Amino acid sequence: MLSREEVLKIAKLARLDLTATEVDTYRQQLGRVLDYIKELSALETPKDAFVKHVPRDAVAFREDKTLPFPDTKALLANAPAIEAESFCLPPILEES
Amino acid sequence: MDPLRLDIQDILESYQRKEFKPSELVASFLDRIEKNNPLLNAYLELNPERVRQRAQELDQRFNEMGKLPLFGVPLAIKDNFLVKHWKATAGSKILENYVSPYTATSVERLETAGAIILGKANCDEFAMGSSNENSAYGPVRNPWDTTRVPGGSSGGSAAAVAAGCAAGSLGTDTGGSIRQPASLCGIVGLKPSYGRVSRYGVVAYASSLDQVGPFGKSVWDVARLLEVMAGYDRHDATSSRAIVPKYTESLSTHSLRGVTLGIPREWLEGLESDVRKSFDSALEVLKGEGAKLVDIKLPHTKYALSTYYLIAPSECSSNLARFDGVHYGHRTKDAKTGEEIYTKSRGEGMGREVKLRIMLGTYALSAGYYDAYYIKANQVRRLIQKDFEDAFTHCQSIVVPTSPSTAFPLGDKTEDPLKMYLSDIFTLPVNLAGLPGISVPCGLDTKNLPVGLQLIGKPFEEASLLQVAHAYEKLRGRFPSPALKGGSR
Repeated sequence: MLSREEVLKIAKLARLDLTATEVDTYRQQLGRVLDYIKELSALETPKDAFVKHVPRDAVAFREDKTLPFPDTKALLANAPAIEAESFCLPPILEES
Repeated sequence: MDPLRLDIQDILESYQRKEFKPSELVASFLDRIEKNNPLLNAYLELNPERVRQRAQELDQRFNEMGKLPLFGVPLAIKDNFLVKHWKATAGSKILENYVSPYTATSVERLETAGAIILGKANCDEFAMGSSNENSAYGPVRNPWDTTRVPGGSSGGSAAAVAAGCAAGSLGTDTGGSIRQPASLCGIVGLKPSYGRVSRYGVVAYASSLDQVGPFGKSVWDVARLLEVMAGYDRHDATSSRAIVPKYTESLSTHSLRGVTLGIPREWLEGLESDVRKSFDSALEVLKGEGAKLVDIKLPHTKYALSTYYLIAPSECSSNLARFDGVHYGHRTKDAKTGEEIYTKSRGEGMGREVKLRIMLGTYALSAGYYDAYYIKANQVRRLIQKDFEDAFTHCQSIVVPTSPSTAFPLGDKTEDPLKMYLSDIFTLPVNLAGLPGISVPCGLDTKNLPVGLQLIGKPFEEASLLQVAHAYEKLRGRFPSPALKGGSR
């Protein structure tokens, strides 16, 4: 089982605010899953054995070019807060 | 007309005989949805007015029917697909009010072919789950027994078709999310090869595993949906340029004589006896029709669960970083700093299983653990892929049960994630290897719950997979439908 501190550290890295009850639940659940997954460590694996996701003929290269999205309004309509076509956030720098 | 009995092929033939118009057909589907959805909870968003309007538009285009391979076919779309003007919550509270600004390529192709979108289907949050109990909008109930789960994560898509509330539907399959609910709901579900169908416009869970696929009442139906959707899309760099065959055209004449089917015997240990019985009878049917059954070995697939639960969470922790309360989705009212916008919006908006998987992935990718977990899992993934490559030198397709059990009671596995994960033990390896897999109903257990037969094929050989599945389906005969309001068995 992971310690409370370990769970809180993972949650911080994952940008997740957890309640005290959640920390306890995840200590157990993460621990249980990680214990199970440990079985892989004993397995001999060749170092260069990286998976091929897609058959080679399926992957094609193209120019990495951005294209304008036709409906900016629809995108902005989903934003929690906007101002003049910009996403709004609270100030991140405090006044000195 | 009875929506419960009509499959896509029946609908298209009925239109040809001018038995009814699209507006009349959707009226009967909407009526059935109204009667059954309050209990089943298969749909999250319905818009009857929009559906009627679309059907009337198709009424006017009746003479174009021959050119539209899905003319007037009413479909349900899993809620992790973007369909312009419809919401796409992906079963999550964090996307409760998100309205799609564009349409996923797969759905766009279905609509261009004449399909009618009936509504958005309930699913496990961000497609993470095997029972549909992880939806923020309540679980879906199995039409065969409403005290039981329909499977997941595409539970709404499967239940809608099984209950006659859609003629077909779309789902996504990252570890079994099409095949397992198809099995538990007694319908056909196909997970195509990785790269066969564009993922553009689908809410990403684990990008190296996610694949779009169809549900239908028959193999012909999923073949038709696949041939319309599949093919290269410039918006998805992993979509294949391989030619899309006319899958439906090769179905009718196929015999099983000379077809070799591989069975990994080690997978069958510990199966529920009812599942085993249905599976064995299906094998007898296949053998009786001339298929040759051979034993194969897939020695590394016993590590598939561990491998999957490192790779999928790692990819999801990265993919779901976009839900930050800034650009779209839920934003906490309780943040004083920029950092708190992220942590609190995500903490409030995401459900239990999603947070668990994000943390698992964050852990696996963090400094000091990356090599031991993520890299190792990818190396094992290659070994699993190699097992299948070797097996396919001895057989054309592999045949196994889709799920180790039939539909289980609601709440049965919610407290123990590992127990839930084991529901996908027969489907996960297929995603890790990027292969196509199909689930076809093969029997009912003693509780009158459906059992599914899974066929697994070589990459991009959906055509031969569908042929074998179709041949089996013809030998099996018509599969019953569940008894529900507004329709008979």
